[in-house]
Amino acid sequence: MAKRGIEKQLNILDYALSSLWRRRTKNLSILLVFSAVIFLVASFLMVSKALSDRAGQLLVAAPEITVQRMSAGRQEAIPLAHGERLQGIFGIRRVVPRVWGYYFDEVTGANFTVLGVDPLQMPGGDGLATALARGRLPEEGEAGMVVVGQGVVETLALENRQLFSLFRPDLSLKTLTVSGEFAKETGIMTADLLLMHPAEARDLFLIAPGFATDLCISVANSREIETIARKIAELLPDCRVLTRPQIQKTYQVVFGWRSGFASICLLSAVAAFIILAWDKASGLAPEERREIAILKVLGWETADVLAVRFWEACLVSGLAFLLGMLSAFAHVLFFSAFLFRPILLGWSVLAPGLSLVPALALGDFLLLAAFTVLPYLAATVIPAWRSATVPADSALGG
Amino acid sequence: MLIALENVCKIYNQGQANEVRALSGIDLSVEAGSMLCLKGPSGSGKSTLLAIIGCVFPPTSGRAAIAGKQLARLPDRFLTIHRRESIGFIFQKFNVLPELTVLENITLPLLPLGISPRERRQRAKTLMERLGIAHRENFPAGQISGGELQRVAIARALINRPPIILADEPTAHLDTPLSREFMAIMQQLQAEGKTIVIASHDPLVFEHPAIDRQVAIQDGRIHVP
Repeated sequence: MAKRGIEKQLNILDYALSSLWRRRTKNLSILLVFSAVIFLVASFLMVSKALSDRAGQLLVAAPEITVQRMSAGRQEAIPLAHGERLQGIFGIRRVVPRVWGYYFDEVTGANFTVLGVDPLQMPGGDGLATALARGRLPEEGEAGMVVVGQGVVETLALENRQLFSLFRPDLSLKTLTVSGEFAKETGIMTADLLLMHPAEARDLFLIAPGFATDLCISVANSREIETIARKIAELLPDCRVLTRPQIQKTYQVVFGWRSGFASICLLSAVAAFIILAWDKASGLAPEERREIAILKVLGWETADVLAVRFWEACLVSGLAFLLGMLSAFAHVLFFSAFLFRPILLGWSVLAPGLSLVPALALGDFLLLAAFTVLPYLAATVIPAWRSATVPADSALGG
Repeated sequence: MLIALENVCKIYNQGQANEVRALSGIDLSVEAGSMLCLKGPSGSGKSTLLAIIGCVFPPTSGRAAIAGKQLARLPDRFLTIHRRESIGFIFQKFNVLPELTVLENITLPLLPLGISPRERRQRAKTLMERLGIAHRENFPAGQISGGELQRVAIARALINRPPIILADEPTAHLDTPLSREFMAIMQQLQAEGKTIVIASHDPLVFEHPAIDRQVAIQDGRIHVP
């Protein structure tokens, strides 16, 4: 009995396949549109997951606490003397001043991130050398030395030269020498980065000696971050105190916001497709109506006709899902998700040339299936019920 | 009696503005192994009567017993099952699916029965050889001649090995030689013990010597001259 049941389903599946083949032009166009929708949604999920993962890995190296001076709600330079006041707080291991800002290059239209910090003073800073593709980190006292990201190399065409100049705010030129380049793998954080000594960054931005843009603080016990941050905030009431977990959360929110925005756009595409599928499935062509009537008068039950529609929808949606997922994987892995980079990589004009490893959590995979395959099945099988109830006698003459 | 109808009525759209009384007070019995012809003009109710005999739907009132089952008592699903076990249909215009091959068309009634492709092909091959269309096995039905199409329809009606064969205006789209050929095949099937009911207003059919009995239908009633 069970064997008969399986054989029956195989027969119906076989019939569904031949039915799909008979209407191949229509089904192929649905398959392509459906695959395209899944491709867009899947590659978007993959790239946002890959970016969040990458950002998460890189933020591990971020300072545990960052202190910035605020005036009238705006950030301004912080005196290095503030750092000395913090030394009295128990649990602080080191205070490193940092000059951090953005430089807009009018010629190329790119925004560079300028980071003036002594890497060797940062905890684990000596490990930063491993992030370099070539060259070395600037040493103390070396004037005008800078390490650049791959995006900067490409934008300023630094492949075959070491020297380049940037404008100070007073339009005088500051000449810099490339001492090293960051590796491509660190692109999400370093593509648009110019890393130099704080004195060089002060000189570039014309910040007075004895000042920095912020103070980076490392603590002895990471569990104490929040407590120490609170003590700093009490000691320096004119300063904003940011902790690493807060920064990580901000990154997640930024990615989350961008992901959310794009997700809404893409889900609208999915919804439009489902409506189209519903419309297609609920309208019954005369030849389809005739076919169903013939099948029913030949002894097919309504459930059998419905099973044909179900298998057809399963085959189309399953194949579209597979095609869409594979193309999304290839899009992210081999083409670095070029379709979504402008949305997800931020406002900077300079788009980092980082390579992404496609990643999709099981939950995302199931969510994607739930939002694409299941609605398609529902949108085609539910209206098919109506078509499956075509009376058998309509195959007979008058 | 293989087919026994008693005071059968069929009303379409009952109780609605477009209500149509298709059949009234039909009493009819058909013995196993006989060949009956329902004759009458278009719209007389022949096809409706054929549909009731063919277990497509039960009568609105009256008793209809087909191959030992009372139709009024059968839910729709069991009506379908009874139909596929007991009835073979041959339609006006033959109603084959033109994109399917001859073999696929013939084996259509076997798919929901869970019969394996091998057995389906074996059964179809026997019928195709008998009806002289074996050479057309893999041809799309839309590309074969009218005579071959007629044989495909007959093979499809026989594939389930049903005791009753129903044919609805089977010669309406055939020329005289093909109509004669059709009746010759029906005669052979009758000789093998099949019960055959043909609805037709073609004299070549109802005056054929193989027809045991003619029943005239007019305005949904059996007409006694």
